[in-house]
Order: sequence, then C-alpha cells, then structure tokens
Amino acid sequence: MSDISEDETVNETAQEARADGEHARATPSGNSFLSDFWVNFVRWNLKAVRNPFVVVGSLVQPIIFLVLFTQVFGQIATSALGGGAGDITYETFLLPAIAMQVSLAAAAGSGIGLVNDMEEGMFEKTLVMPMSRSAMFLGKTAAEILRIVVQIAIILALGAVLGANVATGFLGALGILGVGILFSLWFVALSNIMAIVTRDQESTIIGANLLQFPLLFVSTAFLPLNAMPDWIQVVATYNPITYGVDAARALMLDQDVMTVVEVTRFGGIWDTLVPAIAVLLALDLALGGAMVYLLNRASSSAVQ
Amino acid sequence: MTDDTRRTDGRGAAIDAEGVELTYADGTEAVKGIDLTVPEGEFFGFLGANGAGKTTTIKTFSTLLSPTAGSITVNGFDVRDEPRRVRETIGYMAQETSVDEELTARENIRFAARAYGVPKGERAERIDELLDLVDLADVGDKQAGEFSGGMKKRLDAATALVHDPPLVFLDEPTTGLDPKARNRLWEYFERINERGTTLFLTTQYLEEADQLCDRIAVIMGGEIVATGSPAELKRRVGGEILDVDVPAGEDARERAAEIAREGDVFDADADVAVTDDGISVTAERAREHGTDLLVALRDAGITVTGFNIRAPTLDDVFLAITGEELDSEERSADHDDVTGPEVTAE
Repeated sequence: MSDISEDETVNETAQEARADGEHARATPSGNSFLSDFWVNFVRWNLKAVRNPFVVVGSLVQPIIFLVLFTQVFGQIATSALGGGAGDITYETFLLPAIAMQVSLAAAAGSGIGLVNDMEEGMFEKTLVMPMSRSAMFLGKTAAEILRIVVQIAIILALGAVLGANVATGFLGALGILGVGILFSLWFVALSNIMAIVTRDQESTIIGANLLQFPLLFVSTAFLPLNAMPDWIQVVATYNPITYGVDAARALMLDQDVMTVVEVTRFGGIWDTLVPAIAVLLALDLALGGAMVYLLNRASSSAVQ
Repeated sequence: MTDDTRRTDGRGAAIDAEGVELTYADGTEAVKGIDLTVPEGEFFGFLGANGAGKTTTIKTFSTLLSPTAGSITVNGFDVRDEPRRVRETIGYMAQETSVDEELTARENIRFAARAYGVPKGERAERIDELLDLVDLADVGDKQAGEFSGGMKKRLDAATALVHDPPLVFLDEPTTGLDPKARNRLWEYFERINERGTTLFLTTQYLEEADQLCDRIAVIMGGEIVATGSPAELKRRVGGEILDVDVPAGEDARERAAEIAREGDVFDADADVAVTDDGISVTAERAREHGTDLLVALRDAGITVTGFNIRAPTLDDVFLAITGEELDSEERSADHDDVTGPEVTAE
C-alpha cells in the first residue's frame, strides 16, 4: 500500500534539495509517516466512539443470530451435527461463524466511512493537507481493525456466557481474532471499492448487505457442509466465508473441520488453517490491490 | 510563523500562473490559458458565472487538479513538482462546507492542526485562538453536526487557517449563507487579510468582490477577460449610467432605446441597452443630457415611470465585459435553495 501517493518520493527529494536551510519552514511541516498515521487513526476512532450506532449496529444482527439460532434451531442442529462434528453443542459450532459475521458487518463500515467522507467533503479536504496518502488510509483501516477486534472479543465473551467453549483455550481465542482480521480485509477492500465506484452511501450499504447475507447462508457458517444440498456445497467451496468460518471453527473445536478442500499434510487443525489462511491471504491481496489502485486514482490530481 | 515560510524568489508573488490550461478527459476545456500573478498580501477576487472555470482554476492552484498545460508556482513551489510543499503553505476552503460532523468543533480544528504539523506546544493555544476568531468558543465542545450552515462554514474557515498559512484559497465561501452570516464571514476574511495573509477568493457575488477585493479578475468560458481593481474596472465602463423605467408593451422599450441611440442626445459612443425595467444608457455626461432624453421620449409618446442616474457598479462592469448579466433572480433563487436546509440549526 505504500505506493498510494506518488508525492512522497518527490517530496523527499525536494526536501533533500532544500537541506541548505534556505527554505526551512518555521512551522514544522513534513510530519512523519507515523504521525500522519496516528492523526488519522485518532480521528477514525473518535468517529466510531461518537457514533455508537455503527459499533452497536454491526453487533446487533450477529447477536440476534447467535441467540435466536441457538434457541430456535439448537435442538435440531445439535443432532444434525452428530455426524461430522462429533459431540459438540450448536452454540460452540455457531460461535466462530457469528464471529466472522461480525467481522463482515464491521468491515462493511469501512466503505461507508469513506463514502461519507467524500459526501461531507472531508475526503477532498484531507487531500489538500500535507499528509502521506498511504498513512491516511492505513490510519483509517487500523481504526476499523481495532473495532473489529473489540467486536469479535465481545462476541466470544458472549458465546462463553451462553455455554460455548474454545477448545484451544486463550491462544485459540487470540487465533480467532487473527483469523477475523484476515477475514475482514477482503471485505474492507470490497466495501471501499464499492464506495469509490458508486460514491453513494446507500449503494455502498445496500451492496454490502446484498453480498453479506446470501454468502453467509451458502457457506459452512450455520450448518456443516454435508447437511446442505449439493448445489450449496458447490457454491460453498468457492465462497470466501467458508474459509474464514472453517479457520475460526478449527480453532474453536480443535479439529480439522474443513471439508470443502481436503488437506492432510500438516496434521490436526493445521489441515484447515493453512489452506484457509492461504485462500484468505490471496483474496486480501487481490482485492486490496484493486482497492489501492482505485483509491490512488480517486485521490490523484490527474485530470479524469 | 516567520517570513521564511513565504518563499517568493524575490518576486513577492503568492501565486504565479502562466498559460494554465485544464481539459477534462471528456474533452471539456474548463480553463483555457490563464496568466495570473497575485502578489503577497493581496485580497484577490476571481469573479465569474457558474461554470466559468472558477473552481477548476482554484483546484489547479491548490494541487487538487494537475494542469494539462502551463505552469503554476504557489508560494514559490511548483504545484506539479512539490505538491506537498504547496499544501503546507496554503489553506483551502472548498465550495461545499467540509467539516467532520461527528467531531466537535475543537476536535475538527485539532485534527487539522495535527495534519498541518502545528507543534504540540502551540496547538491548544492556537485552537482557542481560532475558535475565538470565528466566534465558536462557546460551542467548541459541541459536535459540528449540530451547527447551522453559517457556523459550519466558520468552522471550516478556522480549519483552513490553523497553520497560519501565508495564502488561503476560498472557493465561493459565502454561497448559501444568509446575509448576516455572510457579513460576519467577510469580517473574518478582512481581519485575516489585514494580518498579512494573501486571500484568493472566487465568487459570483459582485457585491462580495467589490467590498472585499483589492483586485479582481473576471473569468468567462475558462479565460480571464479583465483584471483590475474594482475602481479601475468601473472606470473602464466609463461615464455615468442613466436608467429609465419604461413600461413594457408596444415596443416602447425598443423605441426608447432607438431614440436614445439615434436622437442626437448623447455622444456617438454612448451604450444603450434594453433592461428588465426599461432602458439603460451609459455615457459621458449622462447627468447633463438626461433631461433631453426624457423630453425626447415624452415627445415620442413614450411613458416614463421613473429614472435614476448613478455611477457604474461591478454589475455594469460584468455586463459590459461579458455581455452576460449575473442574473439576480436566478442568483437569489440558487441562494435560497442552498440556504434553506443548510442554515437552519438542526
């Protein structure tokens, strides 16, 4: 992402050229990358705290899913699990999927924040500020990732209260947070792409929701793969959500739960984690690259 | 801030633009070769109708758009080669109010202060000073989303000034504000200019340019068609203006204009135009010959319902130069549109 701005290299050269001090500024300009990052990180965190609806909003639906699904389908689902997943409760089975759902919902907020900034004129305003463009965007994304981590932690705690159990312990729970971050990035990128392309808040929200819901249902999120019709099994194989959910679930249950791709060379949960993380990383890089390209174009001064 | 931030290469120019062109990808030539020098400390006005190229020009000067041809030096830095240096030394207030509505006024200014690298030790004092300057000190800890349109504009202005830039761009800063809020903003701009800051203002309000600016450039169709102080431009129109109110109908106005042109009352270079209310004559000594015209009109059986002799205004300048009237009805209609939802406190 370091190539978001073409300006920085130019600036460095220019600053060196002016090292004679003739044009040294009285007010310290040339903030460091880190301070530019920090300014934006603080701003986006403040915005999140100011707007509790965003924080709570992306938690409400997953919590409703967690409570309702376990209460309504708990009995049936637990027996449906009997075959593949061993003797585990539906709470334990569902919790990692809900954690990934939270990650998706929170990631959708990234594009919404960007498009809101564009509509409020803040996007252009920050472009006129002497900041590193990469630092600006990384600061924003870091604030969003922090929010995602907090929200997943809340969901895991809630799950524990409802009787779910992380078989791999505290380290495993940290691992689920890590998978959550990795899993959120492709959707962060996708929602930003939608924001830049549509430049419209409603389209960005609707786009994210339209994708999110069907994708959740045609994955291994709510039921094991073998309990679903053949066509869904096929779709689930190509659905990114399956890989996030399977990785989180492997950590939750301490089992190799992945059935869409059978890997046996790493042993234990690594047979799930390695392919899942590989798929997520590839997806993050591909969509992240597209996002950086579009963002770069949107913030460029080149005439369009 | 000391003077060495205002690098000028000895020319004392805040803006030096030569042959600036900007053509959008769809082929629209928004700016067609602008040459412009704005000396330090000047209050410079860029006057033009909607779509004349004002905003595009201001965006090329403030590094938001890269010119397709020509060169621009701002505070001594080339906008293409050293955009970040330019950004460090300018303030920019966009046409649309740009504040973060979820942050408080103080937080908005603090964000700008950090972004512009105002040293930590000076920040708190600077923020208080700016809140004071724009009269938002008592609501400094309220979220900007609760502010009226005028308050948001003032906050926006404060964030553009946080690093005490030697040059500030104001793109139609008072569009959509009620007269009271507008006057207040004008006071701030004058105050800032008195402190030595160069201001570059675009506007479609002649009154605004007339009251505030030391010098004005009139832009039309992407080209500068006139430059000068408001007084110089008015002198260029020349003479005095005689407005004669003639009721419409039966070609009365056209006939009246004919009489003013042909009737041997004024010098040959007198300029006669049919207006919304009757006719308007611009001529040397219009004051002396005015009565002759009124008599001639009466003899021709044309009813005159009123008349007025006055010195030219910038409106006349604009009309004379561009052949277009900055239509006042359209303007106030625009105005109301924007004013309605914006200015009401939420």
